[in-house]
Amino acid sequence: MNALANPEVGKFVNEYFVSSFQKVATFKIVNGQKQGGNVASYFCAPDGRVLHCIAGPVDANTFLKEAKWVVETTKKAMKEAGDDGAKFKAFFRNAHAEKLQRETGLVVEPVTYDWSPPSEDDALQFRDPTGRPLAPKLPPPPIDGPDVKLQEKELALRQAGAAKAANTPGMPGYCTDKAGRRWNIGNQGKADQIMAAHCMSKIESIYGTVFETILGEKISTKPVEVTTPFPWRPESNLRKIKPEDLR
Amino acid sequence: MFSRRMFLGAAAMLALAPVAWAEGSCGTSIEFVDTPKEAAALAKKEQKLVFVLHVSGHFEDPRFT
Repeated sequence: MNALANPEVGKFVNEYFVSSFQKVATFKIVNGQKQGGNVASYFCAPDGRVLHCIAGPVDANTFLKEAKWVVETTKKAMKEAGDDGAKFKAFFRNAHAEKLQRETGLVVEPVTYDWSPPSEDDALQFRDPTGRPLAPKLPPPPIDGPDVKLQEKELALRQAGAAKAANTPGMPGYCTDKAGRRWNIGNQGKADQIMAAHCMSKIESIYGTVFETILGEKISTKPVEVTTPFPWRPESNLRKIKPEDLR
Repeated sequence: MFSRRMFLGAAAMLALAPVAWAEGSCGTSIEFVDTPKEAAALAKKEQKLVFVLHVSGHFEDPRFT
């Protein structure tokens, strides 16, 4: 399960991405057992807007498949949209909806306009004790139901695949469509469902939804802290960037 | 004989030395920079995308990587 230690994953990620990490939530050790604690991987544009995410731990093959999907889709989107940001966003959200359909047989309507979060000055805005608004919990787009063009056997096959997909223990591995029917979706399907409406949003407006809705973790009410999750290792281990490297 | 003893001594020291992690990889096969802000700036310069890992556990726990 240690996907990030896999040399093939490392080679691909180092080739196409510049990587960093943040600590966003806490875990406790009770009687020698860890309670809570999880991981979410975000693939972003250089301006910090999220293109795709993987919620929870996955194996190396799954990680590589998702990372390659991001790179390929980005190339296609850049070719298709050119310099048009709105077109790029719409292309990516459509791509997530198509991916969900291909992997689970479920149809979701991509949202190609942006949901506007409550203003920070809003009197009704809930704030943490430090005065900072909490990370918003974005509404996922509703699942329409199964793709009616699929034969029953094909739908059953895709649903069987979704049932086998990684799912957070204690969280439902299913979703409910508009008719109230339950369908297998798994963590990755849920991530694609959210991304079909909210990809290309800033990471700070998405991470709360991923951690709480998919992983069932309570995020810290503190702002995202850049602290090391490797307290036993000196920070000097990190790759240092000199100012001239950025020029 | 002397050089053989030195060789064996050096081998023993190497065996007892703590594991050296690849620079910036934090025990994974991925190179990490200090902050997402730096990652974004470098990605823009190198025409790459940004990978950000949000964690609330240990990397060394295989369930979380």
